[in-house]
Amino acid sequence: MSSVMSMASADRELASIVGEAHVRRSDADSFHINGAVPAVTVYPGSPEEVAAVLKLANARDLVVAPAGGLTKQQIGGVPERVDILLRTTRMNLIEEYDPGDLTIAVQAGMPFAEMRRALGEHHQWVPCDAARLEHATVGGLLATGAAGPLKSSFGHMRDFCIGVQFVTTDGKVVKGGGRVVKNVAGYDLMKLLTGSYGSLAVITRINYKVFPRPRQTRTFVCSFPSLNAAMQFRTQLFQSPLTPMCVEIISPHAPEYLNDSTTVHDPDDYAPEQPISLPAIEWLVALRAVGSDNVLARYARELGAVVARTLEGAAEDQFWSWISHFEQNVLSRHRNAMVIYTHLAIQNVGPALQALERAAPDYNLIPAAVGRVATGNLVLAFIPLSVDPPSAMQYANCVSAFRGLLPPGSSAEVAYCPKEAKNHFDVWGTTPTDVKMMRAVKKAIDPKNILNRGRFIV
Amino acid sequence: MDSSILRQLKKIAGKESVLDQPEELMLYEYDAGVDVHRPGAVVFAQTTQQVSQIMKLASDRKIPVVPRGAGTGLSGGAIARREAIVLSLAKMNKILEIDVPNQRAVVQPGVVNLELSNATAKYGYYYAPDPSSQKACTIGGNVAENSGGPHTLALGVTVNHVTGLEIVLPDGRVVEFGGKAQDATGLDLTGFFVGSEGTMGVVTRITVKLTKLPEHVTTLLGIYNTVEDAANTVVAITQSGVTPAALEMLDGWMVRCVEANVHAGYPEDAAAVLLIELEGMREVVEEQAKAVSEVCLQQKAREVRHAKDEKQRQLLWLGRKTAFGAVGRVSPSYYTQDGVIPRTKVPYTLAEIERISKKYGLIIGNVFHAGDGNLHPLILFNNRDPEQVEKSHAAAKEIMACCLKFGGSITGEHGVGMEKMGLMTAMFTEDDLEVMIRLRNAFNPESILNPQKMIPELHFCREITGPLPKAKVEPVAGVPV
Repeated sequence: MSSVMSMASADRELASIVGEAHVRRSDADSFHINGAVPAVTVYPGSPEEVAAVLKLANARDLVVAPAGGLTKQQIGGVPERVDILLRTTRMNLIEEYDPGDLTIAVQAGMPFAEMRRALGEHHQWVPCDAARLEHATVGGLLATGAAGPLKSSFGHMRDFCIGVQFVTTDGKVVKGGGRVVKNVAGYDLMKLLTGSYGSLAVITRINYKVFPRPRQTRTFVCSFPSLNAAMQFRTQLFQSPLTPMCVEIISPHAPEYLNDSTTVHDPDDYAPEQPISLPAIEWLVALRAVGSDNVLARYARELGAVVARTLEGAAEDQFWSWISHFEQNVLSRHRNAMVIYTHLAIQNVGPALQALERAAPDYNLIPAAVGRVATGNLVLAFIPLSVDPPSAMQYANCVSAFRGLLPPGSSAEVAYCPKEAKNHFDVWGTTPTDVKMMRAVKKAIDPKNILNRGRFIV
Repeated sequence: MDSSILRQLKKIAGKESVLDQPEELMLYEYDAGVDVHRPGAVVFAQTTQQVSQIMKLASDRKIPVVPRGAGTGLSGGAIARREAIVLSLAKMNKILEIDVPNQRAVVQPGVVNLELSNATAKYGYYYAPDPSSQKACTIGGNVAENSGGPHTLALGVTVNHVTGLEIVLPDGRVVEFGGKAQDATGLDLTGFFVGSEGTMGVVTRITVKLTKLPEHVTTLLGIYNTVEDAANTVVAITQSGVTPAALEMLDGWMVRCVEANVHAGYPEDAAAVLLIELEGMREVVEEQAKAVSEVCLQQKAREVRHAKDEKQRQLLWLGRKTAFGAVGRVSPSYYTQDGVIPRTKVPYTLAEIERISKKYGLIIGNVFHAGDGNLHPLILFNNRDPEQVEKSHAAAKEIMACCLKFGGSITGEHGVGMEKMGLMTAMFTEDDLEVMIRLRNAFNPESILNPQKMIPELHFCREITGPLPKAKVEPVAGVPV
C-alpha cells in the first residue's frame, strides 16, 4: 500500500494538470479491473496533459491503466494495483478528413461508431466490425488489436493504421508514420502499438487509411453435418475464384448466442430452455459476398445446394452484428463463462475446433465458437452449466488440456474468465514470438513498468 | 581490415566466401542509389549458424556489419560505411517450403522476389509485393525495406504479407517472431521489424503469405492531353469506390523515353498516361473496367484502351517496369525521388514539379504509383557537371519540401538508408527520433548493425548510444525543423 501516501499528494497535482472537474476519486462501486479499483480516474484533454500525468506517475511509481470506452479492460492478468485510470474520452475529435485522400486523422478517445458515421456520409469506412463500437474508442481498438468477421479480407487495425501519436512514460509526445497510405520513413511504430494492450505508451491520435464502403452485399449461410464437412467446404472455397468479404464458422452451440437476449438473466440462475438437449449437430459457414446482382448470382450458382439460407439488408447486418457480439452475448448470460481467442495457421482451425469440442465437455463446460476460418482467429466460449459452477482449478485444467491439444505454433489467449481462476494459470499462454525481445522493447519504452503492470504478456 | 578478422571470417564461412581484395570489394561499394562507399570485407553466409557466428565475432570486435541482399536498394541501405563487413545473404537462396493449404511459403532471405511467384504459380498462388526490381531483388531485402511496388495499392506492401521471421540479433542470438499464423499473442515484433532497414537484426528465414492468383485481370491505358486531367482521374477513381490492383502514371516525357526503349505501345504524343489494372472475379473486373473507363472519359481522357490479350497486357507493364532503365539510356545520371503526398494533392504537386524543373533548367520525368500518391520524379543531370549536380540536389530538396508541406512522407518504399537520413528531421521531432533510437537499441544496443543509417543520431541521443559521429542534418527549404 505504498502508493496510498503518494496518491494523496498526487491527487492535487493531477487536478492541477487536468483541472479539478476532470479528476474523480474512486469509491467502492467504482469501475474495477479484474477486482482492482483504480484509486483515481483522470480525463486529460490533450496529449500534453497526458504527458504531464505520465511524468508524474513515472516519478512516483504509480501504476497507470490507459482506458477508452472500458469495453476490453477485463482482458488480461489480474493487476496487483491500479493507481490511475487514464481515460482518453475527452480527446474525441476528428482532426482531419478529406474523403478524396481516403485518410482520416482521429483523436484516440473518439468512439469508433462516431467516426464511422462521419465516414458513412461519404460512403467510406474503416473496415472494423469489432464489438460495442458505440463505446469502444479508436485508441482502445488499436491497443487491443480488436477485430471482427471483416478481418477475413481486410485484416485488422495493423493493416489500416498509417500513423499514430502517443505519449511515453517520460512525457514525450511522439509520432510514427504519417497521413499518407505508403510510408517507410522511420520505424513502424503503428505495428508495435497495435495489440500492445496499453503496455507501451498512451495512444492519443490515429491516422487511418479508409476504404470505399461496399454498396451491396449478400450473406450465404451454408450448413454441414460435421466439422470435417465444413472444413472441406472451406478448402474448396479457397480454391475457387470466389472472394467473399467474410467467411465465418459457427459451431453447433453458437447459434444460441447469435440473437438478442431480450431479458438479462441472473447469470447464476439462468438456464436456457434447452441448452444441453443436443441440437441437431450442424456446423455453419457464413459467407458475405460483395458485388452487383450479377456477381451475387454467381455466388449463389457456385455455392449451390449447401446454402441453407440467404440474408440481405437489415437482417444481414443484424446477423453479422450478432457474430461480432458473440462473446458479449455469452458473457452477459453466463458471468462465469471463459472466452479464448486463437491465432492459428489456417489449416489448424479444424484441429482447434476439435480441441474445443473435446476439452470443454471433459470439464463440464459447453463449447461454442465462431471465427474467421480464413485467418485462424477464433472466438471460443467455454460455458459452465448453471447447476454446476466450476472451481478455479477447473478452468485452469481445462485451459491446459485445450492448449495441449492445439498443434504447435498456435496461440490461445484467455480473454475472459472469472478473476479468481486467472491466478491459477497464464492467461496469455505461449507465443511463437520471442518473449525476451518483447520484454526488451517494453523496457526500452516503459523502463519502470508503470503502464498496465501485471496485465499484459510484458 | 584486420587480418585476424578476415581469418576468422574465412574460418566461419569458408575461404571462397570471403572477399577482401580491392577489385572484389569495388563491386560492393554501391547499390542502385547514389552513394558509394567501399567496405572492408564481404562475407557470404550460407546458414543461420554462420550468420550468428559472424555477428558474434563482429560484436566482440566492435566491427560494423551491413546486411545485403541483391544490392538493388535505392537509398544506400546496403552500403557499408567505413571499415565495415558486408554480410551478403545472397547465397541463402532456397525456398524451404511451399505450404499451399496454409497459403504460406517459407524462404531464405536470398530468394529472388519473382522466383517465389514463379515457383508458386503452378499451385494457383503468387507472392503479391512486386517492386520494379523483382527480377533481381531478394525477399530478405524486401523485408528490410518494406518494399512496395505497383500492385500494392490493393494488396498492401511487404509488411502485410510477412507473418514470421527468424532473426539473428547483433550479439548472435537467434530469435523467432511469429510463424504461419496471421498473427500471434503478444507484441507484433514481426510487423515492427519489417522496414527496419537492417538496423535491428539479420533476417535468416521468412514466412510469407501466398495470394491466390486472380481469376481475371484486365489492364487499361488512359491517354491524356494534359497531366492535370490524368491527375484528376486518379482522385476520381479512388472516390468512385473502385480500388484498382494498380494505378500508375507516366508523364509525356517518360512515355517517349519508354517508347524509344521497349515500344510498349504508349502514344508518343500523350501528355500523360494512366496504367490501370483491375483483378478479381471475372464479373467484378468487367464491371469495374466499365466504371473506370467512364471515369477516365469524364475526366477528359482522350482515349481509353483495353489490353486485348495477355501479350499486350505484359507489354504495357514492360513499359512501366523498365521505365527507370529507359531513363538511363538518355541521361548519364538521374536522381530518383520517392516522396508521398495525399492523393488529392497529386495535381498540384505535379504542377509544382513542372515549375521546379523550369526553375533549375533540368528535365524531371515522372513515373509513379499514382493511386498511393507515391511519386517518383526522376531528376536528370550530368554528374560530370558540378553545377548540374548541385542544381539536382536543390531541385530534389524543393520537391521534398513540397511533399512535406502537405503532410506527406520523404519515402514511400525506397527507404531512408544513407540517402535520406538528413531529411528525417524534417518529418520527425527530436523526441520522435529519440524514441525510435531507444527501440532500436533494444535490438542493436551498440549500433554494430548498419550504423548511421535510417535514424540520424542527434546530439541528445548521442549521450544514450555512446560516441557516434553526428549525421549531417541538412535543413530543407521551407520546412520547419
